Amino acid sequence: MPVSAELKMLKFLQERVNKQTKQVEALGAEDQAQPADYDRVAEKQGRVKELMRRLAEKLGKGDEGRGGE
Amino acid sequence: MRSAAIIAVILTAAALRAQVDVPGEGVLPGAHMPKPVPIQSKNPFKPFDPAKYAQAVRALGGTELQVKRFVDDVEELGAARAGDDLIRKVWAKLDKAVLAAAEADPEAALLLTQALVEAKSPLLQAHARYHLSRLFLDSDDPERALAVLNDYLTHNLNVSPLDSEVAYFYAHSLAEIPMLDAAIPRLRAFLAWFPGASERLRAAAHQRLLELERQRESRLHMLADGMKKTWRDLRKRKTDRPVQLDQETYVEELSELIEMFEEMESQSSSAPSGNGPSSNPAANSALPDGEGSVGELKKRPSLADRWGDMRDSERKKIMADVQNTMPPQYQKMLEDYYKKLGKANRK
Repeated sequence: MPVSAELKMLKFLQERVNKQTKQVEALGAEDQAQPADYDRVAEKQGRVKELMRRLAEKLGKGDEGRGGE
Repeated sequence: MRSAAIIAVILTAAALRAQVDVPGEGVLPGAHMPKPVPIQSKNPFKPFDPAKYAQAVRALGGTELQVKRFVDDVEELGAARAGDDLIRKVWAKLDKAVLAAAEADPEAALLLTQALVEAKSPLLQAHARYHLSRLFLDSDDPERALAVLNDYLTHNLNVSPLDSEVAYFYAHSLAEIPMLDAAIPRLRAFLAWFPGASERLRAAAHQRLLELERQRESRLHMLADGMKKTWRDLRKRKTDRPVQLDQETYVEELSELIEMFEEMESQSSSAPSGNGPSSNPAANSALPDGEGSVGELKKRPSLADRWGDMRDSERKKIMADVQNTMPPQYQKMLEDYYKKLGKANRK
C-alpha cells in the first residue's frame, strides 16, 4: 500500500477521534459524560498513535535496508 | 562493559542516519504542557562531597558502621546508589516504600508520599522525591514525574548524590512528554556536568540524545510523539479546547504529509531513492514492542495489574488514607494517580 494511502487512513481515524473528543467534551460540560466515554476516546487516540509510530518505524527500516545495499 | 555501551551508541547512530528524511518542521503538542525549571547556563550542581554527606547522615541517626559501609560502597556501586542505600538503612519508612515500588505494590505511591510529607530535612526529601518521580515515570506519567523533579531541583539541590540521576531523569521525563526542545539541551547538560555519573546512565543519555535528534528530524515520529501526549491527556480525562487544537494540528500535518508523499509517489513508479516510502515494507501488521523504551533502566511489573488484583477493601483503604492523611496538594496528586491506575487496569 502506498504511504500516502496509509496516511489518508490515519487522517480519517484522527478526524474521527477529534470529533469524538468534542462530543465527550460537550457531554462533560453538561455532566453527562461517563468514565467509559473518556476511556473509549483515549483508546482510539492510542490506536492512531500506535499506527502512526508503526508507519514511522517502517519507513525508517525500509530506508535502512536500501542504505545497506 | 564500556565497549558494549560504545557499540550500542555507534549502532544506534548508524540506524538513525538511515531514517527517511521528510523535509519540514513537524508538529509538537501544546496542550497542558508543564513548565520546566529554566536550564542554567552555569552548572548549578556542586560536586558531591561524601564526607559532608556522611556527616549529614550521622545527624539523622546513621551509625558509624553504616557510614563506613557507605564509604566502601561508593567505590564499588557509585555515589548515587551507595548514598541511597545508606539513607534507606537509616530511614525504614523510605526503605519500605521503595521495596513496595520494586514489587509493583500499588500502595507504593501512598507510602512514598507519606514519607515525603514526614521528611523535614532536605536530604530525606531528596531521596523520597527521587523515588516518587521514578515510580511515576514507570507508571507512564512523565508529567507528574516532572512536577516532583521540579520540586527536587527547587528545594533539594546539592544535598544528596542523587543529583546526577535527577538531572538525567528530568531530561528523560521531558523527552517522554514529549518536549524535545527542552529535553535535548538538558541531556547535553547532564553529559557535560556529570562526567562521573554511572556509565549506564551516561550511555542511556547518549542513546536518548541520538533518538531525540532523529525524532526532531522525523516528522512522522514527531507526530506519533504528539499523539502519545494527547493519548495521555485523554486518559486523564482532558478533552478541552487545547487538546482539541493539538488534534486538529495532527490532521493538518497529516494533510501536508499526504500531499508530499503523493507527489513523491507520482514522480516515480518505483520508490524514490533515499527520500520516500519504503521499498521493503513490513511483512505483517505487528506493532513494534513498547514505546521509546530507551532510558527506562528498569522495567517493573504492572502496577495497574496489581491494583486490579487487589480486594475492594484494600483499594478503599488506600483511598481513605489518601483522603484522610495527605495535605491537599499531595491528595489531589495521588487521587489522580490511582484513578489512572484503575483506568489502565480496565484496558
